[in-house]
Amino acid sequence: MWALSNKVAVAGIGYSALTRRSETPLVQLAKNAIDTALADAGLTRRDLDGLATSPGMPRYGGAKGTVEGVDVVTPWFLGEQLGVQNRIAYTGSTNGMVTQAFIDAAMAVASGVCTHAVVYRALHVPPGSYVNFDSTFASGQDQYFAPFGFSVPPAWAATVLRRYFEMFGYSRGDMARYIVDNRANTQLNPNGYWRGKPIARDDYLDARMIADPMSILDCDIPVDGCAAILLTSAERARDLKQKPALLSGMAAGTHSPPSSVPMTLEDIWTGCEQVAERIWASSGMGPTDIDNAHLYDGFSPFVFLWLEGLGICKRGEGLAFLRDGHGALGGKLPINTGGGALGEGRLHGMTQIIEAASQVSDRCGERQVPGARRAIATISNGLTKSTGFVFSRGEP
Amino acid sequence: MSEAQKGAVPMRPRPLPDEASEGYWQAANEGCLAIQRCQDCRRWNHAPSLNCPACGSGDLDFEKVSGEATLFSWTVVHHSPGPGFAGKLPLLVGIVELAEQPHLLQVANLTGCSEGDLHLGMPLHVEFERIAEDCALPQFRATGGQG
Repeated sequence: MWALSNKVAVAGIGYSALTRRSETPLVQLAKNAIDTALADAGLTRRDLDGLATSPGMPRYGGAKGTVEGVDVVTPWFLGEQLGVQNRIAYTGSTNGMVTQAFIDAAMAVASGVCTHAVVYRALHVPPGSYVNFDSTFASGQDQYFAPFGFSVPPAWAATVLRRYFEMFGYSRGDMARYIVDNRANTQLNPNGYWRGKPIARDDYLDARMIADPMSILDCDIPVDGCAAILLTSAERARDLKQKPALLSGMAAGTHSPPSSVPMTLEDIWTGCEQVAERIWASSGMGPTDIDNAHLYDGFSPFVFLWLEGLGICKRGEGLAFLRDGHGALGGKLPINTGGGALGEGRLHGMTQIIEAASQVSDRCGERQVPGARRAIATISNGLTKSTGFVFSRGEP
Repeated sequence: MSEAQKGAVPMRPRPLPDEASEGYWQAANEGCLAIQRCQDCRRWNHAPSLNCPACGSGDLDFEKVSGEATLFSWTVVHHSPGPGFAGKLPLLVGIVELAEQPHLLQVANLTGCSEGDLHLGMPLHVEFERIAEDCALPQFRATGGQG
């Protein structure tokens, strides 16, 4: 078990508005989210001494936005903009996903480098489409994908979903219940982009195909916005305004598929299993210790593949678990109780961490899992750069 | 932009060969599917790299392969990947497994079949699609047998 298990806590949460295309510059959205997270904990900017994120714009093809404050918000720039740059003792910035910055920030807090660290993810929807390969040449790994029209990330997930369907005899109809229930969860989440827009089974079955069998409703919705999480020591958290969510364990994955393909079903299984082994070792827990799960859903198939990788279901049975409603609120294991990224908006896994921490501190309102004690959050597709976290209730 | 490209229909993106991949694309341009192979541990390696991911050896060379493959998975792309694919949608994209080694995978467009024909293990054979004077892409054609 991790020696620092339950020594670091989530003590505050903050969101900016999440909209499709905001008139407000990204840096202001980031400031709004951070001020909200600090106020949530009963703190002010003067208390902030750590900032961490992964600032890149995840665009595929075309010019990647790099304008500070508009396309991206680095922790150095943000410290200045908040007027507290000389108080910041720790800045973290990873090239992977923001949830790796969460690991770094948790370690910075645990080791005493800083006292109050905010992990944030600010994302800006670029003009046009995230996906538009308009360059003449494809270099690096793109040279094996883009000339074939395979530069659309949902198409990568589609090859995983297709192979799973074919191997186990499923079809999109088996996915419909989860997507519909997940949208219903979103209706109970005040931050949810799709709040106010429930869907029915036929909406899913008739949804526009992006890359068959992945439809638009199998993909998270890109938003302009920011989510922020305040981390501090468990000891300090007990003096703050909210009930703490204790970080019981964390893990990162390092398994990669062959470099000629973006992902495969088999490699995702292996990767999820690797993260699972590490997260269970870190937290000293196992699948039966968890009472709610927040599984990355940037693309819908990852939800049931995490169920399988974590050992909650056998390979090939994760989708049946969702199809039969076991992941719904009130089901055996409520999953993505706030609607995940499919419902809330694309925040690169912040959604899963925030919801897990919120459940074990009784902060989920109408969607609260009664008495939730332990929650897991897993982020990304199980392959390298994926992460997992277990949060536990801080007080009875 | 060259004179010839002005006003032309946008091209699909072309591979930009690098130090590791140059031999692969050069062979493809000459109508040959050649895959990198470790000369020490004899494992096939794709995409090409400067060192063997299995044993770490730097002694890698391109060797011609049979061109036989089976269908590992696929998707039908409806959302345009970019301006070079106008008029080409929906696009059949396969992940094909080369006969030489399990999990030796590559991405290709599928020809000689329609969406309804596709199934795991479907037999395929390489062919080459010329997209520029000095660039051909390895693509895979259904060979008509049962997988």
